Amino acid sequence: MGISGDIWVWIGAFLTFSIMSFLYKDNPFYKFAEHLFVGVSAAYWMCMGIWQTLVPNLIAKLHPPVVSEILPAASTKPAEYSYIIPLVLGIMFLMRLSPKGAWISRWALAFIVGTTAGSYLTRYLRSDFLGQIQYSIIPLISIEDGSFSFVGTISNIIIFLGVFCGLIYFFFSKEHKGTFGVASKVGIYILMITFGAGFGYTVMARISLLVGRMQFIFGDWLGIISR
Amino acid sequence: MKKSLPLGIVFFAGVVMFFQHFIPTDQSEFIYKYANDWLICIGVYAMLLGIWSLIRVTLHKARHDPNERFYAIVTLVSMGIMIVAGWDVDNLRAGSLFMNMFNYILIPVQATIFSLLAFYVASAAYRAFRARTVLATLLLFTAFVVMLRMIPLGYISELNQYLVAWILSVPNLAAKRAIIMGVGLGMMATSIKIILGIERQYLGGD
Amino acid sequence: MDRLKLIPLIVLSALLVFIINADAGAQEEAPADTAEIVKPAPPQNVRVVDNPNDNGHYLLIRWDPSPDEGKGDNDVMGYNIYRSDKPDGEYRQMGTMPVGFYEYEDGSEEEVLAGEKNLEYMEIGETYYYKLTSVTPQDVESEFTEPVSGVPTADWFHAGKLSYFIALFLYISLVLYFIKAAKSGQKLYIRPLGGIEAIDNAIGRATEMGRPILFVLGTGTASDIATIAGYTILGRVARKTAEYQIPVLVPVNEPVMMSVAQETVRNAYIEAGRPDLYDEKNIPYVTAMQFPYVAAVNGIMIREKTATNFYMGLFHAEALLLAETGATTGAIQISGTDQPSQLPFFIAATDFTLIGEELYAASAYLSGQPLLLGPLKAQDYAKALLIVIMVIGLITMTIGWSFWYDLFSTNIT
Repeated sequence: MGISGDIWVWIGAFLTFSIMSFLYKDNPFYKFAEHLFVGVSAAYWMCMGIWQTLVPNLIAKLHPPVVSEILPAASTKPAEYSYIIPLVLGIMFLMRLSPKGAWISRWALAFIVGTTAGSYLTRYLRSDFLGQIQYSIIPLISIEDGSFSFVGTISNIIIFLGVFCGLIYFFFSKEHKGTFGVASKVGIYILMITFGAGFGYTVMARISLLVGRMQFIFGDWLGIISR
Repeated sequence: MKKSLPLGIVFFAGVVMFFQHFIPTDQSEFIYKYANDWLICIGVYAMLLGIWSLIRVTLHKARHDPNERFYAIVTLVSMGIMIVAGWDVDNLRAGSLFMNMFNYILIPVQATIFSLLAFYVASAAYRAFRARTVLATLLLFTAFVVMLRMIPLGYISELNQYLVAWILSVPNLAAKRAIIMGVGLGMMATSIKIILGIERQYLGGD
Repeated sequence: MDRLKLIPLIVLSALLVFIINADAGAQEEAPADTAEIVKPAPPQNVRVVDNPNDNGHYLLIRWDPSPDEGKGDNDVMGYNIYRSDKPDGEYRQMGTMPVGFYEYEDGSEEEVLAGEKNLEYMEIGETYYYKLTSVTPQDVESEFTEPVSGVPTADWFHAGKLSYFIALFLYISLVLYFIKAAKSGQKLYIRPLGGIEAIDNAIGRATEMGRPILFVLGTGTASDIATIAGYTILGRVARKTAEYQIPVLVPVNEPVMMSVAQETVRNAYIEAGRPDLYDEKNIPYVTAMQFPYVAAVNGIMIREKTATNFYMGLFHAEALLLAETGATTGAIQISGTDQPSQLPFFIAATDFTLIGEELYAASAYLSGQPLLLGPLKAQDYAKALLIVIMVIGLITMTIGWSFWYDLFSTNIT
């Protein structure tokens, strides 16, 4: 054990402190880490995009022999010419750089948005929606192990009222007044309980992240504690 | 033409993807697989546009703002080094400069910023506490009850555990369902508006 | 396991039986037939049907148990499934099912797997023949059943998704109806939304202070519905900022989103009659990585001293990091997202939060187009219908009827 001799670990520790210093206030160290971080991550993302997406998903499909060294398995497959479409759409998208061709980039954008909208239309209904409806179909009186359950019954009533009032809260075409207003008010109260539960539940996870950082400082860098 | 053709593409792509979901044939699966592949490829092209924007804005800062000059250069140089380091696919292996910069610059900073949340959660709770509204109080009280389960308090803990389990599975679930149902209806309605070309702000409005 | 492999096993077990019996035979005469291998009866009534709702590369093989299941010496442990493309051709074992399962899904849509011909592949419209056997725990296999054939076919509609289709069809009709109603000039009442006023006030404050406005579109993709709602709100905000001549800063973490945001703001400036004020550098791409993006946006808030911060779109863990930093700078903050996990933090740290569906609704409001408001009415009718469904559910389930619950089952294979 003992303090690390690895220059990279020292860099990591320096950056960790630089970022932490932001808690006190904005300062040149933070600003340096921030700008370094932006440059490195933007370049990282681009390189990964090229090597992990563009090469295997586009170039290897259009002209497989090109990738014979890096992706031997893909290079023997026949070329798939349908990939000319993303090639063309991608180039269209880059037309934004020219003031005259900017309108062509909208075609690519239209393809992106249309495709996602079409899949959202069906995906959401299937994955979440119907399941939530089914789970909300519950009996008023809860019977557990053949006998009446008081807690279960209260819980069922609250679930029913919770979903009911929550939906009322999200009504847009009716003024929230009178009984309707009361239901809507109950709805927002129950929503707040949910948000509180979410808040409290996340705290632990966040603290464990901080503990992880401390382990890096005291373990990997200073070598005071063992990991 | 400049406006109606993109709307036509949106409509066509949207309708195809909609029906695709209900058709199980090879052709339909082909469309699904390829459309998603294509989207990813276009995203990488767009990345070039993004990098170009970043370089332009940073260069502008370096030229015209003496206070920002040093930091702008940090961004440009670090980006340049990273791009050169990642130029060859061989450099994506462990131990290379590219991977070291990833592991010892990106990862620690990423993790540190994420861990700042531990402090931010506390200050946000204090902010909500000061707000003194019924809604904020209700939120904080529930959060407090749920957090208590991490502190050993003997008999109270046992009772609290039961209460937390109940909160999570009863009122929490009920409201979440209402949100999910509402969001689902809203999403589907928005998708329809997009496919029909009524919602077209993303194409730059009218 | 194929039959060739079974031969040494059978020989070995026969040898074992022989030795045991030879040993026993030293004391008493063993009956001659115990050394013989008793084959179990094969399975019965084999049927081959097309696997429903698929792309035509799968068949379902079903059978009834062998009469020897659970019977002493020739107890059956499982069933072997063999396939051939000719009735009297060579049969290849495709799989084994243990006792208790009387259905096997055979086939594959991959013609080539890892560079080699995939033997499980099935061609659409070809006839395939099946023979089955039963197997004992000692690996004694029965005689083959007679070959039974089936033809895999592709389906043009997934029958299991019919209920989704109908539900969607009804909802789409409802939305279309209200769009049409709005188009024909019918007045649709929509209650005032709290968030709208908050948005206008927040813009007003920034103009009074003469400081820029920050608009964050979140870390979703350019075509997420929440992001699309964000563009509309951005359009409205940008229009106001153009009128009042204060900059709106939109740092973006996705390049496609950047292009859309630039278009949106540019058009808003043109509509406001101030295209000269538009500056593309105010809507930069920062980086696609989540936390570097946060670091940069936090820096902007502090150094540019933004008076008002908007967070509208799809957010992840960065929600609180941004909102808390913004709160410490004293900015007025308005947030909106459809992510239930991030809503608690926005509610705690920002001045006003559009919760879930409210975000979409606010976007429709702010667009100022009646056509976009129409669907809100459809959403309300659908919610009313959901409430009715729940009430019927409550009644039927309390009585003890489960048909209503089953109707909303989501189990689709």
